[in-house]
Amino acid sequence: MIALAIGIAFGFCLERAGLGDSRKLSGQFYFTDFTVLKVMFSAIVTAALGAFWLARLGVLDLAGVYVPETYLLPQLAGGLLFGAGFVAAGLCPGTSCVAAASGRGDGLMVVLGMFAGVAVTGLAFAPLRHFYESTARGPLTFPQLLHVPYGVVVFAVVALALATFAAAERWERRA
Amino acid sequence: MRRALAIVAATGGVLALLAGSPYPLDVQRLATAVAREDDHVTAVELAAWLRGRKPGLRIIDLRTPAEFNDFHLPRAENVAIDALPSTPFRSDETIVLVSAAGGHAAQGWVFLQALGHRNVYFLRGGVQEWTEALKQPAIGRYFGGARRRDGC
Repeated sequence: MIALAIGIAFGFCLERAGLGDSRKLSGQFYFTDFTVLKVMFSAIVTAALGAFWLARLGVLDLAGVYVPETYLLPQLAGGLLFGAGFVAAGLCPGTSCVAAASGRGDGLMVVLGMFAGVAVTGLAFAPLRHFYESTARGPLTFPQLLHVPYGVVVFAVVALALATFAAAERWERRA
Repeated sequence: MRRALAIVAATGGVLALLAGSPYPLDVQRLATAVAREDDHVTAVELAAWLRGRKPGLRIIDLRTPAEFNDFHLPRAENVAIDALPSTPFRSDETIVLVSAAGGHAAQGWVFLQALGHRNVYFLRGGVQEWTEALKQPAIGRYFGGARRRDGC
């Protein structure tokens, strides 16, 4: 029930941000609309600051936060495939569900395509398994990887986000 | 509105630099302290602290009362390891934990670090190493060592 409520709230926020519109999302890749970048970076900054300060104040136990494992080559290949699909469809998994829920035909087709892709990958998993499990690096985090304190990474993320926001706004005004 | 949010985010980011670790127990800091051997003192170093009357030095002996009564270091206090978390320490005190061979004292070091005490050490090798070191001239009879047969 909690997951359903969070999912509905997430979808509502995506729709309100205009991310159910494939043209808006495609604009990111043609540098005509930076809404995706700003929404995503806002979410990252909110999560980074929220997780850090809630843990620092003793409200959140960071040791209980699941960190997905890193598989370098499979995730690189998956990222490229995901990006290609994102450009072609103009929607990602989350926004395609939002688009479909708000009655857009392209969103519905992307959702169907996504489930078809999941089914094909599942059927072809046996020969893919070796590659899927290759170059495992475990649950990596930036503080571990860079050997810097957590606070430095949070500061760097915030600084990068604010600089990117400023640059994107300037670019949009010029365009 | 956007400017206000940017200021809030920037303030949160800058303060994060100064706020320390968000983990209740900063395992990386403890591991670094262990790797640098900043977690313990040797018998000779502790003897020098005692001889120099180091201000705020507290030696906490975690062995049983019987072992403590049999022999203990000068100025040592006997505290059971399960009573260690509730033992009050001031922030300006230097705490040295002592056990029979160092194992319990090393565990006590982690407990006190988890409770936020920073000026904590344990005696490497415990009372065993202390009594061994007493036979060396660097510590000598001043700290309770037995006179050697050769008169030293």
